[in-house]
Amino acid sequence: MPDRAARAWIAAAAPIVCASLIFTSGVALASPTQTLTLGAGFTPNELGAPTNLSTTMTFASSAGLPDPVSDVVAYGPAGLSVQVRGVATCERAKLEADGPSGCPAESRVGFGGGVGVFDLAGLPVKEPYTLDFFLAPQEHGHLAILIYVDAVNPVAVQFVLTAREVHGPRPYGFGLAVEVPPVSTVPGAGNASVESSFASLGGANIAYYQTIHGKRTLVHIKGLVAPATCPAGGFPFEVIVTFADGSTSTANYSSPCPSGRP
Amino acid sequence: MRSSAVLRRHHRAIRAATAAGCACALPAALSVSTVLVATATAHAQTVATITPLLSPDRLGATGALSFTIQYADSAANIPPPMRRSILRFPAGLTLEVPRLSSCSVSRLRARGADGCPADSMLGRGHALIEAQVGSQTIAENVSLWVFLGPLHNLAPTVEILGQGYTPYDERVVLSGTMLPAGGPYGEALSLSIPPISTLPLEPDASIVTFSLTIGAPVQHRAHDANTVRLPAICPQGGFPFAAEFTYADGSSGSSVTTVPCP
Repeated sequence: MPDRAARAWIAAAAPIVCASLIFTSGVALASPTQTLTLGAGFTPNELGAPTNLSTTMTFASSAGLPDPVSDVVAYGPAGLSVQVRGVATCERAKLEADGPSGCPAESRVGFGGGVGVFDLAGLPVKEPYTLDFFLAPQEHGHLAILIYVDAVNPVAVQFVLTAREVHGPRPYGFGLAVEVPPVSTVPGAGNASVESSFASLGGANIAYYQTIHGKRTLVHIKGLVAPATCPAGGFPFEVIVTFADGSTSTANYSSPCPSGRP
Repeated sequence: MRSSAVLRRHHRAIRAATAAGCACALPAALSVSTVLVATATAHAQTVATITPLLSPDRLGATGALSFTIQYADSAANIPPPMRRSILRFPAGLTLEVPRLSSCSVSRLRARGADGCPADSMLGRGHALIEAQVGSQTIAENVSLWVFLGPLHNLAPTVEILGQGYTPYDERVVLSGTMLPAGGPYGEALSLSIPPISTLPLEPDASIVTFSLTIGAPVQHRAHDANTVRLPAICPQGGFPFAAEFTYADGSSGSSVTTVPCP
């Protein structure tokens, strides 16, 4: 039975934030105007091993700027698990009040960023942003991850999102769902949209010192663990984005199996 | 067979060089009463500072050379990653290796410092590395070990093992070659610094401080320990040291300083 904790990570990986790059990317046209491109990859790409999941996602619209995002649901391949033993947690209120420095370093589970965009008097204004991921206390037995969104210039915007564990239909497994509130920018300008987003979650070599039985001990965090098997065609990922106008767009991506696999 | 032959030639070459008093003129020595610090602009923003220290401060004595390099960037929180460095040492400064033994890069990578012959260790040190990931600056303390490496084109080499533990349990090996340097210097250490990766999609880490001690004062070492010997004469103006740096962004810089004569 897969570790429940595991579910959260993958989900985090794919959401708005996500997806990736590394290999080839998949493109899906889910609506007449919104184009979503997803990519993802494990590093190292080894079956059953602690790993990092990097994801990228890009948005485009034939009508100009992409619509603002309101929800993101992302699924990773079945068998992907998360083992959070040794990982601290951060309270949402603390993160909102003090920013990332208010969370324990041991609660960090990933980083990311991207480019946002908003319309100002008919002109697109682009703004880079960063993402910091922290493990939150479980919610009703499900994993939760806090995402600190930080944009500085030209408009200072900071807010916290919560990614909650979900479970996808086969061939998917663990996933994350994120609600994104309207992000206002400046008076007279449109709400912010996402042009691109990336995330880098977990790692094969994360370690923290902890006091165990009175002794300072280096504890290695397993975190995200790649599936023990790889289906033909590669590890499947899917992301479903709902936009402010109610339309949805879905993108799929298959990350290559480790060398020697199908 | 071939390896043994190469090793024997290696040993003979080192012995000959040492006997001639021109061996691996790694830095050498001494004192400290007064140490000058030099700074130089690497590119528009990056400033590197080298601080050598010789101990004891007696001409011709055996002892230790310590030097610290500090990097700072006035325009960014973190200086750019370094790719190459050339350190020049004063003429007459020699490395004395009573019991020749070397350690290879592959052995260091696979087994760490404990996997190398104790006789091959030349010194110890530490470094601080930092990376900007998400909105955060992540720092990691790194322990350094310096080993005599195998000859490369008949030139002595050194291998510097860097081992960090938290938050990333990772090791890197920096390889250097001792080369003749034009006056007023004796020899130069040309050092290659590999990329220090953090997480996929996130930038590499940068060295912020780098500090090494080669050899040891006589009262702190075994009778057959590797050490450095100070020049028998001190040029007017003091012992000259210099450094050149090349960064990953293509910029470069240099720094010079002197250590006062005993």
